[in-house]
Amino acid sequence: MILFAQQLVNGLSLGAIYAVIALGYTMVYGIIELINFAHGDVYTAGSFVALAALTLLGATGHMAAAGVAFALIVAGLAAMLAMGATGVVIERFAYRPLRGRQRLAPLLTAIGVSFSLENLLQLWMGPSPVPFPQLVPNPFFALGPISIGQMQLVVIFSSLVMMVALHFFVQRTKLGKAMRATAQDWMAAEIMGIDINKTIALTFFVGSVLAGAAGVITGLYYGTIWFINGFRAGLIAFTAAVLGGIGNTTGAALGGFVIGFIEVMTAQYIGFQWAEVMIFSVLILVLIFRPTGLLGQQLPERT
Amino acid sequence: MIRRLLSMLSGLAVLGLILMVPGSTGLHPASAAGAIRIGVDLPMSGGEAPNGVPTNNGILLAIDQANAAGGYNGSMFEEVLKDDAVNGVHDPAQGAKNVQELLADPAVVGLVASFNSNVGKATIPITNGAGVVQISPAQTNPTLTKPPDALEVRRAHPDQINYFRVCTTDDIQGPVGADFAYKVLKAQKVAILDDQETYGKGIADEFEKEFKKLGGTVLSHDGIPKGTQDFHAILTKIKAEAPQLLYFGGVTTTGGGLIRKQMPDVGLTIPYEGGDGIVEDEFLTVAGDTANYSFGTVASVNVERMAAAKAFVDAYKAKYHESPGAYSANAFVAVKIIIDAVKAVGPDRAKVRAWVANLRDYKSIIGTFSFDENGDTTNKVISIYAVRNNKWTWIDQIRLGQV
Amino acid sequence: MLHRILPYRTSLAILVLFLLYPLVDHNAGHVNAAADAAVFALLALGLNIVVGFAGLLDLGYAAFFAIGSYAYAFAASPFYGLHLPFWPMLLIAAIIAGVFGLLLGAPTLRLRGDYLAIVTLGFGEIVPTVFLNLPRYTGGTNGIVGIDQPVLLGYHFGFNPVPYFYTLLVIIVLSVIAILRLRDSRLGRAWLAIREDEIAAASMGINLTVTKLLAFSFGAFFSGFGGALYVAKLGIVSPDQFNFTVSFTVLAMVVLGGMGNVLGVIAGAGILYEFQSLFLADLTQWTHALGQAWSLPALRVVDFVNFKFLLYGLGLVFLMLLRPAGIFPERRIRAIVTEGRGEIIPEAAPVAGDSPAADVSPPGES
Repeated sequence: MILFAQQLVNGLSLGAIYAVIALGYTMVYGIIELINFAHGDVYTAGSFVALAALTLLGATGHMAAAGVAFALIVAGLAAMLAMGATGVVIERFAYRPLRGRQRLAPLLTAIGVSFSLENLLQLWMGPSPVPFPQLVPNPFFALGPISIGQMQLVVIFSSLVMMVALHFFVQRTKLGKAMRATAQDWMAAEIMGIDINKTIALTFFVGSVLAGAAGVITGLYYGTIWFINGFRAGLIAFTAAVLGGIGNTTGAALGGFVIGFIEVMTAQYIGFQWAEVMIFSVLILVLIFRPTGLLGQQLPERT
Repeated sequence: MIRRLLSMLSGLAVLGLILMVPGSTGLHPASAAGAIRIGVDLPMSGGEAPNGVPTNNGILLAIDQANAAGGYNGSMFEEVLKDDAVNGVHDPAQGAKNVQELLADPAVVGLVASFNSNVGKATIPITNGAGVVQISPAQTNPTLTKPPDALEVRRAHPDQINYFRVCTTDDIQGPVGADFAYKVLKAQKVAILDDQETYGKGIADEFEKEFKKLGGTVLSHDGIPKGTQDFHAILTKIKAEAPQLLYFGGVTTTGGGLIRKQMPDVGLTIPYEGGDGIVEDEFLTVAGDTANYSFGTVASVNVERMAAAKAFVDAYKAKYHESPGAYSANAFVAVKIIIDAVKAVGPDRAKVRAWVANLRDYKSIIGTFSFDENGDTTNKVISIYAVRNNKWTWIDQIRLGQV
Repeated sequence: MLHRILPYRTSLAILVLFLLYPLVDHNAGHVNAAADAAVFALLALGLNIVVGFAGLLDLGYAAFFAIGSYAYAFAASPFYGLHLPFWPMLLIAAIIAGVFGLLLGAPTLRLRGDYLAIVTLGFGEIVPTVFLNLPRYTGGTNGIVGIDQPVLLGYHFGFNPVPYFYTLLVIIVLSVIAILRLRDSRLGRAWLAIREDEIAAASMGINLTVTKLLAFSFGAFFSGFGGALYVAKLGIVSPDQFNFTVSFTVLAMVVLGGMGNVLGVIAGAGILYEFQSLFLADLTQWTHALGQAWSLPALRVVDFVNFKFLLYGLGLVFLMLLRPAGIFPERRIRAIVTEGRGEIIPEAAPVAGDSPAADVSPPGES
């Protein structure tokens, strides 16, 4: 029982990361029905940018807390903004020309972008894994018989903050409303005076910012970054988005946590090597009984 | 009508180009007068780059040195490199094609190939059929040379061995690791993890077999899904089993480093052991401060204790500005054997193969060895390393049969 | 008789070229690459039924490829001690793959669009992982070695790629004929109807379940042929040969060749395979040679090994931007794409006597 609870904690921190990446996937899908395979690589690129920034600032694990905080804020902002810009650029040049047409061409383009990004990252920092400075000390706290690490708390907390912030942005701000309107019915939105191109670009921006932030957090958490990380992360995040209901941001968050949970429990009770089989099996079972995901989808209405 | 004709012609032109270009040897760089070529097949791109690139660097170094010393009878040695990684993953089918292309070039006298054992299973039948020597620096799966499995692989000429390897096989490294864990580290109960690749699973299985034979208990043996970064769950499970040692079959990049790093996170303070896949600088980089109290076996003598090997390390660092990879020295030796064969009997494929098959007491930077009747090296020295003060430190050497 | 062949004259001419190819190029590696390209062409033909005809987005086609390959490997290797003859097994492997097409297609019936995609992607991951995790039954990560190779009238194929190449050509021709027949049959038109508008198709009396299942089944069937020949030529099978990039590559071939266009996807397969295996692989050497020919020393030292992915990725992006409907788009698809709207140009459904060659739209036409 204690073991179960301990694994629950592990699942929370793992799931939190998946959830944040899934958010970006689902937002983009919700608005232009594109599976953005490059999203996972944007996540990885975020950690690379953060590393570069930290190196420039000369940040090490032995600095005073204030210095660490400053360095992290700068690196984090750099990563988020750089990734936001990257997302916008990718949308503008690779996806926009294909918008509205065939479904498959943009999919291939997305994979092409993914390959290109991966190769660029490899050229940037080399083919081997690169160490990421561990700026945040990681003591473990005991909650009764269960232990939880400070970094795990950071991961969970920051992910929740981002999810809440996104929710607030999408539900309460004018820009967010424009995004929702475009996602629901872009023609009507256009008629109402919303600039579709800008709104879509904004969606990519926000999604990529989230991915970049997730990259910084996992860099800090795992202490190593590798150019090839994005692929698996992206795949799992996309699965999470579908599990929760594509286009549905709450669903994506839920999906992320569910998958984190499944992975952890499989490792404990079945065998780690079966993790992916279990994740996809659960997905398939869920979709058989709820064909639009756990919380239902939110897709553009077809005119 | 005209448009269709034009389109058809352009289509045919494209097709013609596609067919012509690979077939025309005219576009291949003209080799210098009678250059002697050594074919190389390694996984070089994508996620395989950390494996293939340093290995290939060892080969290039040997060729450079041979050419600096005058080559052979005025002809220079040249490498023809083929990449068997497709979309970033080693692919046996690509390896087979690469080897066939290399064999089609009459200037190629021998091959240094490959890195992954699965690729070997696809390539050895081809080189065996052609009777061309193939030396591997890194394929450690025993079934590539040892009967009865190997007889499937060298079907064409089962007694004319053409495949050799300078690395020791998993069925030697694994048991030595088990002996060390049981007798020296005094571990009675272990948990095992492997990366599910042929090397990682192979060495982990051999470790398990020997450990049980010695009387130890294997509490669990799990595999790691490819690309995993977060090991807290599996390590939590393992901690609950209360093992005295954690053995990892695999390399740094498939989890070897990150697992070590995350062990303290779940309170696992036991020793960590692996094969030569983790005895490399990259492991130290990834694991950082947690690397201490890790152990590893390496299937060769300690290169730093040999003067000749030190010269190799220095030359490698001078040329590539980084330390050699785990298999760079092996690759260096593998290609040097072919070079020496050519110097002895000339650039003739059959003669080179026969010469290599009769290799006896060959002195190299990884020790002195011969090839046995299966093509395996007789160099069954296993070195044992431990991480002390954040460096891999040599602590012992075991000759097979002795503990 | 001549009037039935005449519409296909371009394709037949190209076929003759392919027949002559191994006689001209004696490099076994190149012929082997051509044989592998032919295997992928078969895969592309199969996936074309699922994606191109029926419009079902399948991102995990490698699962069927794996099933066909392992089916033959189980039946003809030392692993289980079975040594069933190749030629019957070729058909049986295809049938087994077809059956699994039914099984794996079943959970997707109620799903739309990209949900279907992710489920197929899931199967694409599950199947190789299952093969990996059950070493006692499948050989695990080491796979199965020593697979029996075909013997025809006393002639042993061995590792010589030439006979495999010709066998594949024959199978491709037969498959194309069969698929074209399928496409013009009621089932084929039902597929096309589903692709365009599922609801309308259902309201016209098409049984969605049966039609979709048959699409998966027929699609998987052809991968069985490809699988058996692929591993027979290679001599081994292992789970890491069937990862997502294989599924993606076959899909890219279908899209590149022009979805729905039977002959187009073969061209797509050839071009993409060529690009991936030979062009990118040899790019370094060609640039060196070019540098030598044009006396540009800079070109002689460049090494593309580290750029392969970048070039591949950028190539894909540009190709999709330039020709999103593929190089040889099926006329209906091209009409939809270039119009940019969801309407179908009211074109008469293929009637007997219509020239099927019209679907092979040569490049250059917009």
